[in-house]
Amino acid sequence: MAARQNSLQARIRTPWVMQASSLLLFIVGWEIIGRTGLLFPDLFPSIFEIFQSLWTYISTPLMLPHIQASLYEIGGALALASILGIPLGILWGSRRNWLEIVEPLILYAAVVPKIVIFPVFILFLGIGVHSKLAVGAIAAFFPIALLTIAGMRDVKKVYVDVARTIGATPLQIAIRVYLPAIAGQVFAGIRIGLGAAVTGALLAETKIAKAGLGFMIVEYYAQFRIADMYSLLLFILILAAVTNWVMKSLFARLSPASRVNPDASMYF
Amino acid sequence: MSEHARLTAWRLFWIFGTLAIIEASVRAGWISTFFLAAPSRAAVTLWEQLVHGNALQLTAITLLEIFMSLLIATVFGVLAGFLLWRFKLAGRSYETWLAALFSSPIILAYPVFLVTFGRSSAAVIALSSIFGLIPIIINTKNSFQNVNPILLQVGASMNLTRKQMFRHILLPAVAPPIFSGFRLALTYILKSVLGLEYVAQVGGVGMWLSDAAFKFEVEEVYAGLFGTIALSILFLYLINRSESLIRN
Repeated sequence: MAARQNSLQARIRTPWVMQASSLLLFIVGWEIIGRTGLLFPDLFPSIFEIFQSLWTYISTPLMLPHIQASLYEIGGALALASILGIPLGILWGSRRNWLEIVEPLILYAAVVPKIVIFPVFILFLGIGVHSKLAVGAIAAFFPIALLTIAGMRDVKKVYVDVARTIGATPLQIAIRVYLPAIAGQVFAGIRIGLGAAVTGALLAETKIAKAGLGFMIVEYYAQFRIADMYSLLLFILILAAVTNWVMKSLFARLSPASRVNPDASMYF
Repeated sequence: MSEHARLTAWRLFWIFGTLAIIEASVRAGWISTFFLAAPSRAAVTLWEQLVHGNALQLTAITLLEIFMSLLIATVFGVLAGFLLWRFKLAGRSYETWLAALFSSPIILAYPVFLVTFGRSSAAVIALSSIFGLIPIIINTKNSFQNVNPILLQVGASMNLTRKQMFRHILLPAVAPPIFSGFRLALTYILKSVLGLEYVAQVGGVGMWLSDAAFKFEVEEVYAGLFGTIALSILFLYLINRSESLIRN
Protein backbone atom coordinates (compact mmCIF):
# COMPACT_ATOMS: atom_id res chain seq x y z
CA MET A 1 0.00 0.00 0.00
CA ALA A 2 2.76 2.38 1.09
CA ALA A 3 4.86 1.42 -1.94
CA ARG A 4 1.93 2.12 -4.26
CA GLN A 5 1.36 5.51 -2.56
CA ASN A 6 5.07 6.37 -3.00
CA SER A 7 4.97 5.40 -6.67
CA LEU A 8 1.86 7.57 -7.18
CA GLN A 9 3.55 10.46 -5.42
CA ALA A 10 6.63 10.06 -7.62
CA ARG A 11 4.43 10.04 -10.70
CA ILE A 12 2.64 13.20 -9.59
CA ARG A 13 5.79 15.04 -8.53
CA THR A 14 7.13 15.62 -12.03
CA PRO A 15 7.90 18.95 -13.73
CA TRP A 16 5.25 18.22 -16.35
CA VAL A 17 2.48 17.84 -13.74
CA MET A 18 3.72 20.94 -11.90
CA GLN A 19 3.74 22.97 -15.12
CA ALA A 20 0.26 21.80 -16.11
CA SER A 21 -1.18 22.51 -12.68
CA SER A 22 0.50 25.96 -12.58
CA LEU A 23 -1.00 26.77 -15.96
CA LEU A 24 -4.43 25.62 -14.82
CA LEU A 25 -4.12 27.68 -11.64
CA PHE A 26 -3.10 30.72 -13.69
CA ILE A 27 -6.11 30.36 -16.02
CA VAL A 28 -8.56 29.86 -13.14
CA GLY A 29 -7.03 32.79 -11.19
CA TRP A 30 -7.19 35.03 -14.26
CA GLU A 31 -10.82 34.09 -14.91
CA ILE A 32 -11.82 34.73 -11.27
CA ILE A 33 -10.09 38.12 -11.23
CA GLY A 34 -11.64 39.01 -14.59
CA ARG A 35 -15.18 38.03 -13.70
CA THR A 36 -15.19 39.53 -10.20
CA GLY A 37 -13.35 42.71 -11.19
CA LEU A 38 -11.16 42.17 -8.12
CA LEU A 39 -8.04 43.76 -9.62
CA PHE A 40 -7.61 46.27 -12.45
CA PRO A 41 -11.08 45.93 -14.01
CA ASP A 42 -11.01 45.70 -17.85
CA LEU A 43 -7.42 44.45 -17.75
CA PHE A 44 -8.41 40.80 -17.31
CA PRO A 45 -10.82 39.89 -20.11
CA SER A 46 -12.14 36.34 -20.16
CA ILE A 47 -9.65 33.72 -21.35
CA PHE A 48 -12.38 32.43 -23.71
CA GLU A 49 -12.65 35.87 -25.27
CA ILE A 50 -8.87 35.95 -25.80
CA PHE A 51 -8.81 32.50 -27.40
CA GLN A 52 -11.82 33.34 -29.55
CA SER A 53 -9.94 36.37 -30.86
CA LEU A 54 -6.81 34.25 -31.36
CA TRP A 55 -8.81 31.74 -33.39
CA THR A 56 -10.03 34.60 -35.62
CA TYR A 57 -6.41 35.52 -36.43
CA ILE A 58 -5.58 31.93 -37.28
CA SER A 59 -8.71 31.02 -39.23
CA THR A 60 -9.40 34.24 -41.17
CA PRO A 61 -7.25 36.44 -43.42
CA LEU A 62 -7.79 39.42 -41.06
CA MET A 63 -4.15 39.63 -40.02
CA LEU A 64 -2.64 38.55 -43.32
CA PRO A 65 -1.56 42.03 -44.57
CA HIS A 66 0.00 42.76 -41.18
CA ILE A 67 1.73 39.38 -41.01
CA GLN A 68 3.07 39.97 -44.52
CA ALA A 69 4.40 43.43 -43.61
CA SER A 70 6.08 42.13 -40.43
CA LEU A 71 7.50 39.06 -42.16
CA TYR A 72 8.95 41.25 -44.91
CA GLU A 73 10.64 43.46 -42.32
CA ILE A 74 11.92 40.56 -40.20
CA GLY A 75 13.05 38.44 -43.16
CA GLY A 76 14.75 41.41 -44.80
CA ALA A 77 16.37 42.41 -41.51
CA LEU A 78 17.76 38.91 -40.93
CA ALA A 79 19.03 38.64 -44.51
CA LEU A 80 20.72 42.05 -44.36
CA ALA A 81 22.23 41.37 -40.93
CA SER A 82 23.58 38.01 -42.14
CA ILE A 83 24.99 39.48 -45.36
CA LEU A 84 26.87 42.11 -43.35
CA GLY A 85 27.49 40.28 -40.07
CA ILE A 86 28.93 36.98 -41.30
CA PRO A 87 31.61 38.37 -43.69
CA LEU A 88 32.55 41.12 -41.22
CA GLY A 89 32.70 38.58 -38.40
CA ILE A 90 34.96 36.35 -40.54
CA LEU A 91 37.14 39.32 -41.50
CA TRP A 92 37.51 40.63 -37.95
CA GLY A 93 37.88 37.15 -36.49
CA SER A 94 40.66 36.22 -38.91
CA ARG A 95 42.87 39.22 -38.08
CA ARG A 96 43.87 39.28 -34.43
CA ASN A 97 45.17 42.87 -34.51
CA TRP A 98 41.97 44.15 -36.15
CA LEU A 99 39.85 42.23 -33.67
CA GLU A 100 41.70 43.76 -30.71
CA ILE A 101 40.75 47.22 -31.98
CA VAL A 102 37.21 46.48 -33.12
CA GLU A 103 35.86 44.00 -30.54
CA PRO A 104 35.42 46.39 -27.57
CA LEU A 105 33.72 48.90 -29.88
CA ILE A 106 31.27 46.23 -31.07
CA LEU A 107 30.62 45.05 -27.52
CA TYR A 108 29.87 48.61 -26.38
CA ALA A 109 27.69 49.28 -29.42
CA ALA A 110 25.79 46.03 -28.78
CA VAL A 111 24.54 47.39 -25.44
CA VAL A 112 22.90 50.49 -26.97
CA PRO A 113 19.16 49.86 -27.38
CA LYS A 114 18.77 49.71 -31.16
CA ILE A 115 15.28 51.17 -31.13
CA VAL A 116 16.74 54.60 -30.26
CA ILE A 117 18.34 54.71 -33.74
CA PHE A 118 14.85 54.46 -35.25
CA PRO A 119 14.37 58.27 -35.61
CA VAL A 120 17.53 58.39 -37.75
CA PHE A 121 16.18 55.62 -39.98
CA ILE A 122 12.87 57.49 -40.25
CA LEU A 123 14.78 60.56 -41.45
CA PHE A 124 16.58 58.54 -44.11
CA LEU A 125 14.02 55.89 -45.07
CA GLY A 126 10.63 57.30 -44.08
CA ILE A 127 7.92 55.69 -42.00
CA GLY A 128 7.32 52.72 -44.32
CA VAL A 129 8.56 49.18 -43.87
CA HIS A 130 12.21 49.95 -44.68
CA SER A 131 12.93 51.94 -41.52
CA LYS A 132 11.66 48.99 -39.42
CA LEU A 133 13.68 46.59 -41.54
CA ALA A 134 16.77 48.70 -40.77
CA VAL A 135 16.11 48.63 -36.99
CA GLY A 136 15.65 44.85 -37.14
CA ALA A 137 18.82 44.49 -39.20
CA ILE A 138 20.98 46.50 -36.83
CA ALA A 139 19.55 44.57 -33.86
CA ALA A 140 20.30 41.22 -35.54
CA PHE A 141 23.73 42.29 -36.78
CA PHE A 142 25.43 42.19 -33.36
CA PRO A 143 24.65 38.61 -32.29
CA ILE A 144 25.45 37.35 -35.80
CA ALA A 145 28.77 39.22 -36.06
CA LEU A 146 29.84 38.47 -32.47
CA LEU A 147 29.06 34.76 -32.68
CA THR A 148 30.83 34.54 -36.06
CA ILE A 149 33.88 36.14 -34.41
CA ALA A 150 33.57 33.61 -31.57
CA GLY A 151 33.42 30.82 -34.14
CA MET A 152 36.53 32.11 -35.93
CA ARG A 153 38.36 32.34 -32.63
CA ASP A 154 37.56 28.69 -31.89
CA VAL A 155 38.97 27.39 -35.20
CA LYS A 156 42.01 25.30 -34.33
CA LYS A 157 45.15 26.69 -35.94
CA VAL A 158 46.35 23.17 -36.63
CA TYR A 159 43.49 22.60 -39.15
CA VAL A 160 44.55 25.67 -41.12
CA ASP A 161 48.22 24.63 -40.96
CA VAL A 162 47.39 21.14 -42.22
CA ALA A 163 45.34 22.59 -45.09
CA ARG A 164 48.22 24.90 -46.03
CA THR A 165 50.72 22.03 -45.86
CA ILE A 166 48.73 20.02 -48.38
CA GLY A 167 48.66 23.04 -50.68
CA ALA A 168 45.11 24.35 -50.21
CA THR A 169 44.41 27.79 -51.69
CA PRO A 170 43.00 30.58 -49.42
CA LEU A 171 39.55 30.03 -51.00
CA GLN A 172 39.75 26.29 -50.36
CA ILE A 173 40.83 26.95 -46.77
CA ALA A 174 37.87 29.31 -46.33
CA ILE A 175 35.34 26.84 -47.77
CA ARG A 176 36.76 23.55 -46.49
CA VAL A 177 38.19 24.57 -43.12
CA TYR A 178 36.73 27.81 -41.79
CA LEU A 179 33.11 27.48 -42.94
CA PRO A 180 32.44 23.98 -41.48
CA ALA A 181 34.26 24.96 -38.27
CA ILE A 182 32.27 28.16 -37.67
CA ALA A 183 28.91 26.92 -39.01
CA GLY A 184 27.61 26.01 -35.54
CA GLN A 185 28.29 29.45 -34.06
CA VAL A 186 27.02 31.23 -37.18
CA PHE A 187 23.74 29.28 -37.05
CA ALA A 188 23.41 30.07 -33.35
CA GLY A 189 24.02 33.74 -34.21
CA ILE A 190 21.34 33.69 -36.92
CA ARG A 191 18.84 32.10 -34.54
CA ILE A 192 19.51 34.67 -31.82
CA GLY A 193 19.60 37.39 -34.48
CA LEU A 194 16.11 36.35 -35.55
CA GLY A 195 14.83 37.03 -32.02
CA ALA A 196 16.54 40.42 -32.02
CA ALA A 197 15.11 41.24 -35.47
CA VAL A 198 11.59 40.31 -34.36
CA THR A 199 11.83 42.51 -31.27
CA GLY A 200 13.49 45.42 -33.13
CA ALA A 201 11.13 45.48 -36.10
CA LEU A 202 7.90 44.95 -34.15
CA LEU A 203 8.86 47.45 -31.47
CA ALA A 204 9.56 50.02 -34.18
CA GLU A 205 6.13 49.23 -35.65
CA THR A 206 4.52 50.13 -32.33
CA LYS A 207 6.14 53.58 -32.55
CA ILE A 208 5.06 54.61 -36.01
CA ALA A 209 3.81 52.45 -38.87
CA LYS A 210 1.04 51.90 -41.37
CA ALA A 211 0.88 48.10 -41.10
CA GLY A 212 2.36 45.19 -39.17
CA LEU A 213 1.70 43.12 -36.06
CA GLY A 214 3.38 45.66 -33.75
CA PHE A 215 1.27 48.41 -35.32
CA MET A 216 -1.90 46.38 -34.61
CA ILE A 217 -0.94 45.90 -30.93
CA VAL A 218 -0.85 49.67 -30.47
CA GLU A 219 -4.03 50.10 -32.52
CA TYR A 220 -5.87 47.70 -30.19
CA TYR A 221 -4.36 49.46 -27.17
CA ALA A 222 -5.53 52.85 -28.48
CA GLN A 223 -9.03 51.46 -29.03
CA PHE A 224 -8.88 49.76 -25.61
CA ARG A 225 -9.61 46.35 -27.19
CA ILE A 226 -7.65 44.57 -24.47
CA ALA A 227 -8.74 41.00 -25.32
CA ASP A 228 -7.69 41.53 -28.95
CA MET A 229 -4.39 43.02 -27.80
CA TYR A 230 -3.64 40.02 -25.53
CA SER A 231 -4.55 37.53 -28.22
CA LEU A 232 -2.31 39.29 -30.74
CA LEU A 233 0.56 39.25 -28.22
CA LEU A 234 -0.06 35.55 -27.66
CA PHE A 235 -0.14 35.03 -31.43
CA ILE A 236 3.25 36.77 -31.80
CA LEU A 237 4.77 34.79 -28.91
CA ILE A 238 3.54 31.50 -30.43
CA LEU A 239 4.83 32.51 -33.87
CA ALA A 240 8.23 33.47 -32.41
CA ALA A 241 8.47 30.25 -30.37
CA VAL A 242 7.54 28.04 -33.36
CA THR A 243 10.03 29.82 -35.66
CA ASN A 244 12.74 29.53 -33.03
CA TRP A 245 12.04 25.83 -32.58
CA VAL A 246 12.04 25.19 -36.36
CA MET A 247 15.35 27.03 -36.76
CA LYS A 248 16.87 25.23 -33.79
CA SER A 249 15.89 21.81 -35.17
CA LEU A 250 16.99 22.67 -38.70
CA PHE A 251 20.35 24.04 -37.62
CA ALA A 252 20.91 21.11 -35.25
CA ARG A 253 20.50 18.82 -38.27
CA LEU A 254 22.77 20.91 -40.47
CA SER A 255 25.42 21.35 -37.83
CA PRO A 256 25.34 19.58 -34.47
CA ALA A 257 27.69 22.27 -33.18
CA SER A 258 24.84 24.83 -33.34
CA ARG A 259 23.56 23.17 -30.18
CA VAL A 260 26.45 24.71 -28.31
CA ASN A 261 26.04 27.82 -26.27
CA PRO A 262 22.33 27.41 -25.43
CA ASP A 263 22.42 30.48 -23.17
CA ALA A 264 24.02 32.75 -25.75
CA SER A 265 20.69 34.48 -26.30
CA MET A 266 20.95 35.87 -22.78
CA TYR A 267 23.84 38.06 -23.82
CA PHE A 268 22.14 40.03 -26.61
CA MET B 1 53.75 53.33 -26.12
CA SER B 2 52.10 50.47 -24.26
CA GLU B 3 49.92 47.95 -26.10
CA HIS B 4 46.81 49.21 -24.30
CA ALA B 5 47.53 52.85 -25.24
CA ARG B 6 48.20 51.87 -28.85
CA LEU B 7 44.88 50.03 -29.12
CA THR B 8 43.00 52.90 -27.47
CA ALA B 9 44.64 55.36 -29.89
CA TRP B 10 43.55 53.22 -32.84
CA ARG B 11 39.97 53.01 -31.52
CA LEU B 12 39.82 56.78 -31.01
CA PHE B 13 41.27 57.27 -34.47
CA TRP B 14 38.47 55.19 -35.99
CA ILE B 15 35.71 56.89 -33.98
CA PHE B 16 36.89 60.46 -34.57
CA GLY B 17 37.89 59.67 -38.16
CA THR B 18 34.33 58.51 -38.90
CA LEU B 19 32.88 61.59 -37.18
CA ALA B 20 35.25 63.84 -39.17
CA ILE B 21 34.13 62.25 -42.45
CA ILE B 22 30.47 62.79 -41.49
CA GLU B 23 31.22 66.40 -40.45
CA ALA B 24 32.99 67.11 -43.75
CA SER B 25 30.19 65.46 -45.78
CA VAL B 26 27.50 67.55 -44.10
CA ARG B 27 29.48 70.80 -44.31
CA ALA B 28 30.27 70.21 -47.99
CA GLY B 29 26.56 69.70 -48.62
CA TRP B 30 26.99 66.10 -49.84
CA ILE B 31 24.45 64.99 -47.25
CA SER B 32 21.41 67.17 -46.56
CA THR B 33 21.09 68.61 -43.06
CA PHE B 34 17.49 67.48 -43.29
CA PHE B 35 18.75 63.90 -42.74
CA LEU B 36 22.00 64.28 -40.85
CA ALA B 37 23.26 66.86 -38.39
CA ALA B 38 26.96 67.71 -38.33
CA PRO B 39 28.43 65.95 -35.24
CA SER B 40 29.80 69.30 -34.00
CA ARG B 41 26.27 70.84 -34.13
CA ALA B 42 24.80 67.82 -32.33
CA ALA B 43 27.52 68.08 -29.66
CA VAL B 44 26.80 71.81 -29.18
CA THR B 45 23.05 71.09 -28.91
CA LEU B 46 23.73 68.35 -26.36
CA TRP B 47 25.93 70.71 -24.34
CA GLU B 48 23.27 73.47 -24.44
CA GLN B 49 20.64 71.01 -23.30
CA LEU B 50 22.88 69.90 -20.45
CA VAL B 51 23.71 73.44 -19.31
CA HIS B 52 20.54 75.41 -20.08
CA GLY B 53 17.92 72.78 -20.92
CA ASN B 54 16.45 69.91 -18.91
CA ALA B 55 18.78 67.14 -20.13
CA LEU B 56 20.26 66.65 -16.64
CA GLN B 57 16.81 66.37 -15.11
CA LEU B 58 15.81 63.82 -17.76
CA THR B 59 19.02 61.86 -17.17
CA ALA B 60 18.21 61.82 -13.45
CA ILE B 61 14.76 60.36 -14.23
CA THR B 62 16.32 57.66 -16.43
CA LEU B 63 18.90 56.82 -13.76
CA LEU B 64 16.19 56.62 -11.11
CA GLU B 65 14.16 54.24 -13.29
CA ILE B 66 17.22 52.08 -13.87
CA PHE B 67 18.03 52.03 -10.15
CA MET B 68 14.45 51.18 -9.10
CA SER B 69 14.17 48.42 -11.74
CA LEU B 70 17.48 46.96 -10.62
CA LEU B 71 16.49 47.08 -6.98
CA ILE B 72 13.18 45.31 -7.59
CA ALA B 73 14.80 42.76 -9.90
CA THR B 74 17.59 42.04 -7.41
CA VAL B 75 15.37 41.64 -4.33
CA PHE B 76 12.77 39.43 -6.01
CA GLY B 77 15.23 37.72 -8.36
CA VAL B 78 17.63 36.54 -5.67
CA LEU B 79 14.74 35.38 -3.48
CA ALA B 80 13.01 33.54 -6.34
CA GLY B 81 16.32 32.01 -7.51
CA PHE B 82 17.04 30.77 -3.99
CA LEU B 83 13.54 29.28 -3.68
CA LEU B 84 13.82 27.57 -7.07
CA TRP B 85 17.10 26.00 -5.94
CA ARG B 86 15.66 25.04 -2.53
CA PHE B 87 12.53 23.44 -4.04
CA LYS B 88 14.06 21.33 -6.78
CA LEU B 89 10.81 20.31 -8.47
CA ALA B 90 9.72 23.94 -8.84
CA GLY B 91 13.19 24.77 -10.14
CA ARG B 92 13.07 22.07 -12.80
CA SER B 93 9.50 23.00 -13.72
CA TYR B 94 9.86 26.72 -14.10
CA GLU B 95 13.42 27.10 -15.42
CA THR B 96 12.42 26.26 -19.00
CA TRP B 97 9.50 28.68 -18.77
CA LEU B 98 11.78 31.45 -17.55
CA ALA B 99 14.29 30.83 -20.34
CA ALA B 100 11.47 30.79 -22.93
CA LEU B 101 10.01 34.01 -21.51
CA PHE B 102 13.42 35.64 -21.60
CA SER B 103 14.03 34.91 -25.28
CA SER B 104 10.50 35.91 -26.31
CA PRO B 105 9.66 39.48 -27.38
CA ILE B 106 7.85 40.34 -24.12
CA ILE B 107 8.81 44.00 -24.51
CA LEU B 108 5.93 44.20 -27.01
CA ALA B 109 3.60 43.80 -24.02
CA TYR B 110 4.43 47.34 -22.91
CA PRO B 111 0.91 48.64 -23.69
CA VAL B 112 -0.37 46.25 -20.98
CA PHE B 113 1.89 48.03 -18.49
CA LEU B 114 0.75 51.43 -19.75
CA VAL B 115 -2.86 50.38 -19.12
CA THR B 116 -1.98 49.07 -15.65
CA PHE B 117 0.34 51.80 -14.40
CA GLY B 118 -0.62 54.69 -16.65
CA ARG B 119 1.74 56.56 -18.95
CA SER B 120 4.37 57.07 -16.26
CA SER B 121 7.79 55.98 -15.05
CA ALA B 122 6.06 53.25 -13.01
CA ALA B 123 5.18 51.41 -16.25
CA VAL B 124 8.81 51.62 -17.42
CA ILE B 125 10.10 50.40 -14.05
CA ALA B 126 7.59 47.51 -13.88
CA LEU B 127 8.43 46.07 -17.31
CA SER B 128 12.17 46.72 -17.01
CA SER B 129 12.20 44.93 -13.64
CA ILE B 130 10.90 41.80 -15.39
CA PHE B 131 13.76 42.05 -17.88
CA GLY B 132 16.24 42.21 -15.03
CA LEU B 133 14.44 39.64 -12.92
CA ILE B 134 14.81 36.65 -15.24
CA PRO B 135 18.64 36.58 -15.60
CA ILE B 136 19.00 37.15 -11.85
CA ILE B 137 16.63 34.25 -11.02
CA ILE B 138 18.35 31.88 -13.45
CA ASN B 139 21.85 32.89 -12.34
CA THR B 140 21.03 32.72 -8.63
CA LYS B 141 19.49 29.25 -8.97
CA ASN B 142 22.47 28.01 -11.01
CA SER B 143 24.94 29.59 -8.57
CA PHE B 144 23.44 27.72 -5.59
CA GLN B 145 23.22 24.55 -7.66
CA ASN B 146 26.89 24.72 -8.67
CA VAL B 147 28.35 25.24 -5.18
CA ASN B 148 31.22 22.80 -4.77
CA PRO B 149 29.81 19.84 -2.73
CA ILE B 150 33.18 19.50 -0.96
CA LEU B 151 32.59 22.89 0.67
CA LEU B 152 29.21 21.70 1.92
CA GLN B 153 30.74 18.45 3.21
CA VAL B 154 33.43 20.42 5.07
CA GLY B 155 30.71 22.57 6.62
CA ALA B 156 28.73 19.50 7.65
CA SER B 157 31.82 17.84 9.15
CA MET B 158 32.36 20.97 11.25
CA ASN B 159 28.78 20.63 12.54
CA LEU B 160 27.74 24.03 11.23
CA THR B 161 24.11 24.96 11.75
CA ARG B 162 21.94 25.68 8.67
CA LYS B 163 22.29 29.40 9.38
CA GLN B 164 26.09 29.17 9.70
CA MET B 165 26.29 27.03 6.60
CA PHE B 166 24.35 29.64 4.64
CA ARG B 167 26.33 32.59 5.97
CA HIS B 168 29.85 31.18 5.90
CA ILE B 169 29.76 28.75 2.98
CA LEU B 170 26.84 29.24 0.60
CA LEU B 171 26.78 33.03 0.53
CA PRO B 172 30.51 33.60 -0.21
CA ALA B 173 30.44 30.81 -2.80
CA VAL B 174 27.43 32.15 -4.72
CA ALA B 175 28.21 35.89 -4.55
CA PRO B 176 30.58 36.15 -7.59
CA PRO B 177 28.38 34.14 -10.02
CA ILE B 178 25.29 36.02 -8.83
CA PHE B 179 27.13 39.23 -9.73
CA SER B 180 27.38 37.99 -13.33
CA GLY B 181 23.57 37.73 -13.38
CA PHE B 182 23.38 41.18 -11.83
CA ARG B 183 25.61 42.56 -14.60
CA LEU B 184 23.46 40.92 -17.26
CA ALA B 185 20.32 42.25 -15.60
CA LEU B 186 21.69 45.78 -15.53
CA THR B 187 22.50 45.63 -19.24
CA TYR B 188 18.98 44.45 -20.00
CA ILE B 189 17.36 47.00 -17.71
CA LEU B 190 19.36 49.79 -19.36
CA LYS B 191 18.20 48.69 -22.82
CA SER B 192 14.64 48.24 -21.68
CA VAL B 193 14.38 51.59 -19.84
CA LEU B 194 15.83 53.65 -22.69
CA GLY B 195 13.84 51.73 -25.32
CA LEU B 196 10.55 51.98 -23.44
CA GLU B 197 11.05 55.66 -22.69
CA TYR B 198 11.45 56.19 -26.40
CA VAL B 199 8.54 54.09 -27.69
CA ALA B 200 6.06 55.01 -24.95
CA GLN B 201 7.28 58.62 -24.78
CA VAL B 202 7.53 58.68 -21.00
CA GLY B 203 10.29 59.29 -18.46
CA GLY B 204 13.72 60.70 -19.24
CA VAL B 205 16.35 60.62 -21.99
CA GLY B 206 14.36 58.29 -24.29
CA MET B 207 11.35 60.62 -24.11
CA TRP B 208 13.58 63.57 -25.05
CA LEU B 209 14.75 61.70 -28.13
CA SER B 210 11.17 60.82 -29.03
CA ASP B 211 10.01 64.44 -28.62
CA ALA B 212 12.85 65.73 -30.78
CA ALA B 213 12.03 63.18 -33.50
CA PHE B 214 8.35 64.11 -33.33
CA LYS B 215 9.23 67.79 -33.92
CA PHE B 216 11.73 66.86 -36.67
CA GLU B 217 14.47 68.76 -34.82
CA VAL B 218 17.34 66.97 -36.57
CA GLU B 219 20.16 68.40 -34.42
CA GLU B 220 18.26 67.57 -31.27
CA VAL B 221 17.57 64.01 -32.51
CA TYR B 222 21.31 63.44 -32.98
CA ALA B 223 22.10 65.17 -29.68
CA GLY B 224 19.61 62.87 -27.93
CA LEU B 225 21.08 59.87 -29.73
CA PHE B 226 24.62 60.86 -28.67
CA GLY B 227 23.37 61.29 -25.09
CA THR B 228 21.68 57.87 -25.09
CA ILE B 229 24.71 56.14 -26.59
CA ALA B 230 27.04 57.91 -24.13
CA LEU B 231 24.85 56.86 -21.19
CA SER B 232 24.78 53.23 -22.38
CA ILE B 233 28.55 53.13 -22.89
CA LEU B 234 29.22 54.80 -19.53
CA PHE B 235 27.03 52.24 -17.81
CA LEU B 236 28.73 49.28 -19.46
CA TYR B 237 32.14 50.73 -18.63
CA LEU B 238 31.18 51.16 -14.96
CA ILE B 239 29.74 47.63 -14.81
CA ASN B 240 32.92 46.19 -16.33
CA ARG B 241 35.10 48.18 -13.92
CA SER B 242 33.12 47.13 -10.85
CA GLU B 243 33.11 43.49 -11.99
CA SER B 244 36.87 43.47 -12.41
CA LEU B 245 37.25 45.15 -8.99
CA ILE B 246 35.06 42.50 -7.35
CA ARG B 247 36.83 39.62 -9.09
CA ASN B 248 40.29 40.90 -8.17
